[in-house]
Amino acid sequence: MAENVAFKHIEKTSMIGKRIKKPDAPAKAIGKTRYINDMVLPQMLYGKILHAGRPHAEIISIDTSEAEKLAGVHLVITAKDTPDLKLGFVKDNAPLKSKVLCERDEVAAVAAISEAIAAAAIKLIKVSYKDLPGVFSAEEGLKADAPQIQENFPGNKSLKFEFKHGDLAEAEAGSDIILDHVFNVHYVTHCCMGTSCAIADFDHNGKLTIYSQTQYPYNYKMDLAPALGIDPGDIRVIQPTTGGSFGAKLDVYPYEPVAAILARKTGRPVKVLFDREEEFINSPTRQPAAIHLRTGCTSDGILTFRSADVLMDNGAYTSWGPTVPVIMMRTVSGHYRVPVIDFKAQAVYSNNAYAGSFRGYGNVQMTYATAQHMDMFAEELSEKYGMDPIEFHLKNAQKSGEVTPQKSYLRECVLAECLTTAAEASDYVNKHKSYTEARAQEGRYKRGIGLASSIHNAGGAKIHKSDGCGTILKMDDYARVTVITGASEIGQGIDAVISQIVSEELGVPPEHVTLVNNDSDIGPWDVGVHASRTTFIAGNGAKRAAIKAKEQILAAASKQANVTAEELDLRGGYVVQDKDGAAVIRLDRMLRQMHFQPTPDVVMVSDYYEPNSELEGKDHISDHSAAYSHAVHIAEVMVDTLTGEVKVEKVTMAQDVGRVINQMGLEAQMEGGLAFGLGFALSEEMIFEEGRLLNPNFRDYKVPTAPEMPEIEMHFIESDCEEGPYGAKGIAELPTIVVAPAIANAVYNATGIRFLNPPMNPEKVARAIWEKKQADS
Amino acid sequence: MSVKINLDFTLNGRPVTIEVPAEMTVLNLLRDGLDLKGTKYACGEGECGACTIEVDGRTINSCLMMAADLQGRAVMTIEGMQEGHALHPMQQAFVDHGAVQCGFCMPGMIIQANYLVKQNPQLTREEMKRGLEGNICRCTGYTKVLDAVAAVVGLNENKGLEHG
Amino acid sequence: MSEIERYIAPKKLDDALEALAGGPVTIVAGATDLTPQITGGKLSYKATLMNIQHIEGLNAVTKKGGTKKDGKIRIGALVTVSEIRGNHMLKNHAGILCQAADHFASEQIRNAATIGGNICNASPAGDMIIPFLALGASAELARWQDGSIETRSVPLDEFFTGPGRNMARDDELLTAVTFDVPPENSIGLFRKSGPRPALEISTVSMGISGELTEGTLKNVRVAFGAVGPTALRGKLTEAALEGKILNQEVIQAAALAARKDVSPIDDIRATKWYRTHLIGVFTEELLNNVCQN
Repeated sequence: MAENVAFKHIEKTSMIGKRIKKPDAPAKAIGKTRYINDMVLPQMLYGKILHAGRPHAEIISIDTSEAEKLAGVHLVITAKDTPDLKLGFVKDNAPLKSKVLCERDEVAAVAAISEAIAAAAIKLIKVSYKDLPGVFSAEEGLKADAPQIQENFPGNKSLKFEFKHGDLAEAEAGSDIILDHVFNVHYVTHCCMGTSCAIADFDHNGKLTIYSQTQYPYNYKMDLAPALGIDPGDIRVIQPTTGGSFGAKLDVYPYEPVAAILARKTGRPVKVLFDREEEFINSPTRQPAAIHLRTGCTSDGILTFRSADVLMDNGAYTSWGPTVPVIMMRTVSGHYRVPVIDFKAQAVYSNNAYAGSFRGYGNVQMTYATAQHMDMFAEELSEKYGMDPIEFHLKNAQKSGEVTPQKSYLRECVLAECLTTAAEASDYVNKHKSYTEARAQEGRYKRGIGLASSIHNAGGAKIHKSDGCGTILKMDDYARVTVITGASEIGQGIDAVISQIVSEELGVPPEHVTLVNNDSDIGPWDVGVHASRTTFIAGNGAKRAAIKAKEQILAAASKQANVTAEELDLRGGYVVQDKDGAAVIRLDRMLRQMHFQPTPDVVMVSDYYEPNSELEGKDHISDHSAAYSHAVHIAEVMVDTLTGEVKVEKVTMAQDVGRVINQMGLEAQMEGGLAFGLGFALSEEMIFEEGRLLNPNFRDYKVPTAPEMPEIEMHFIESDCEEGPYGAKGIAELPTIVVAPAIANAVYNATGIRFLNPPMNPEKVARAIWEKKQADS
Repeated sequence: MSVKINLDFTLNGRPVTIEVPAEMTVLNLLRDGLDLKGTKYACGEGECGACTIEVDGRTINSCLMMAADLQGRAVMTIEGMQEGHALHPMQQAFVDHGAVQCGFCMPGMIIQANYLVKQNPQLTREEMKRGLEGNICRCTGYTKVLDAVAAVVGLNENKGLEHG
Repeated sequence: MSEIERYIAPKKLDDALEALAGGPVTIVAGATDLTPQITGGKLSYKATLMNIQHIEGLNAVTKKGGTKKDGKIRIGALVTVSEIRGNHMLKNHAGILCQAADHFASEQIRNAATIGGNICNASPAGDMIIPFLALGASAELARWQDGSIETRSVPLDEFFTGPGRNMARDDELLTAVTFDVPPENSIGLFRKSGPRPALEISTVSMGISGELTEGTLKNVRVAFGAVGPTALRGKLTEAALEGKILNQEVIQAAALAARKDVSPIDDIRATKWYRTHLIGVFTEELLNNVCQN
């Protein structure tokens, strides 16, 4: 070896747990990043959709002639142009509608040379409607005389779920306390800052390239194809940078096939981009639910059973919203050790908005209920039997190795550590006691502290046949690494995590790792960015691919250095001796030597990682995630008992993260996730009147702003997950899930009032306090 | 079509002469007329701050301001903050402190944060929150944003000490 | 959106008023209210769009005379909410204006929104209207009449005629808001609802001003926002306070009177019950603050 590296020694260091900057942040910070919203393609037309703006109606006639005559308009389409095209996984939706079933329904669409002309043309389309009586709640939909919404779903019955375990009657008989409440969880929506957008372009072989914000590019093809009547193989999905997603783009929604149909018929690229009002009205919501929860407990503080009967307003069409019981029931059966479970859920069609997936996926709704029941038990057990509230939680907290009734195998479980860490850090027990005492005293402002916890899948969720992710890794002659992964980047930071993991394994700086992950014709398959799965699944994939590359390089190096591969390592851009870090050869030189020889040895490896989990089946008994995680939040609030304003002053969180990978990205996910939960708990609410959204704007739909953010104290508990990359678990949904009931429990501690129906907005809180005062006096 | 107006103004330090329709907003002029797509549309009603720019040294929502009103004024957009290849210290702080996730609100947020620090180099965390109340971010929960601004304020304090 | 045939940006008030006299004109200043109304289809442009931002002499805050009877404060129509928020003279003499400005929308809006615009827009929830009503301010309206400027002054509590409507004639331009310099012993407090400090359309808002001598309130003016078709003066509340020594009994009576003064509606932001409740709460709160200070 000619190179003089003899005196160079490189110590073994680790990237894992460091603060890694997001690789795409500089371009975003200087305004250079091209978001899909910013894209303009040559010859591109602008598509605009006419929405019905009424909840239930026959379409008597549509006159598009004036719109067609407008200068600059290329095409106007209606349902007549798209017969037999269906979408949605029960195929109850269509790109354009021949009958109106909800306010957002897409009635016609225009392609024109500018946004302004397309908007003007929409106004020229004359539609004659015959309004029909509507169904505006799940209860109404179930009535015998309710109008039938979807032809193929008699009685308006949509999806149904059931899980039973153990003898409910016996468990009830053995309970000393039974709680029985109905929690009504409201409509909220994602409010991605970049509004929804799709750009469709067909080539001359009939292949569609769709620029999309989708979170699941590979199955997306399968779902989009029937809405266009083409083969999924004829779809290429490109994911330009997107302005947020949070679950909103986990399905195909009508604007996407509409863009494609306009593109196919005009022969031009067509862009459909929502304005903010369209975004509010035409985006999926979080699934609302009426949760009738019953929970039993003994006087010793041991949980005996949970029974949940969930009624969901399906809205007019079925997207992912009504599938959330799959996760809800894991909470019912796994949020603490509960031996007997009785879970039912029914979704009912209505003429309301329809729900999709949304960060927390059912667990936000269910934990709002279960975590309040836990707090009610803790209160009652403390009052009646003097039991310490944390002791009650600890008694029921599962431990490593336990298996839930649904067969979630809690391999590494640190719920107890999360509970004690958060409780001690926040001085929960003392504060809770003193605020309880202060409740009866005079005074306008009341403090409260509340604890909530939950469980969530942290190693993917196998609801498809595969929950895997493909990775292709290549190294060039200069030791630069390209990782082609199926995993999508929607702002959450998988770009930083993958560069960090590859850097860890290959001993190259993270900035020498390029990520390619936005083109379905290039990337290998992945199920999508959802279910807190990407660091776990794609991280494992990247790690396994990098290890393969490393083994290949070390095998080649070992031949040259006459040592075994096990005696070598990659560090700081060198092949080194593992034992003392003595440099053997510069990595780029090694790669060139491997490359330029009679039998070239080029580093191009691939991996498909399938997590060690079982498919979610019809019986819902399977270990459907490769890991599960817990989080505990303790919220401290100040309630103005006259105005009803709730100010969250501090949140102390303790979460099982498995192992910290990117400390900075982890914190950022926690803080952002918490903000979602905060808005859900206190201020965000879609207000509907007979199926029409009354507040489609940021004035009246109140997402949290900077002054409302509490102080956040984070404790990351490292359970060292055997299956996760370096021990890591998925993390991003729990902060959204747990904070709202923690706030509700804190508001109870401050006021003595339970809020079963979020949001706890000022009027609701003020009214409840006022009514309690009237009743008490 | 509405009447068109000839405009002369300064954009990121350079003179611009352009003809605009009378009803055009500054946001549309920047994005569509001048191809500066760093400034974002997210609500069009002045509620979210994604379109924040600086005009004559004050920040405004460019979705509300009429392009015609730019006559004779000096505009700074996100594209005008950095010097050459180097990020502006505020931009760098956002990168370093993990304040950028999807990043869509960031151009407006960074322009506003920079304005706040120019107005008051000793900004407190509470004042930062108040100053950023017109900028909605859905990803970060604002905490890392505040950390970034605090770091820039700290930087200024240190500089003050060095020079003082 | 209808077409704009003519765009003008006059520098002289004469030219602006002459244009106003000449036919239908849409007036624009900060555009923070106008643009959303245009894009939302609630308003359409008239043939002439007149940008008044460049008119000289409308962007000053001036004080003439002292705190005795002769003193006047004049705030030009183009003064922005930010300028009010940071104005030291106003902080000293009419702090209620700065308080309201501090709770107005967001920094970016405050930087663009003008006093004239906020008043002419005549929103029942207009945050700057409340302190001006409490200060007993008047709108100065100018028009072009026989080759010269004619002005008149309309008390603000007569100026608003309904949501989005005011008394200004089509040929009139609001040039300033004026009010007497409050005497040295004056108090002035503003309160607005909502957990957010500013970026919040008021569920209700309230202002109170008066002179406090040895615990007695005189020349009391009370104004309420978002509790009726226009921002309004609380005459019953004022009567309950005028000349009274501020004690808990008087405060309770004032809070009761305040609830009677208002006639709010149910809408998506709040119910009638909550608005009425808040008015009582705020009245008590502000008067208690007066007592404590």
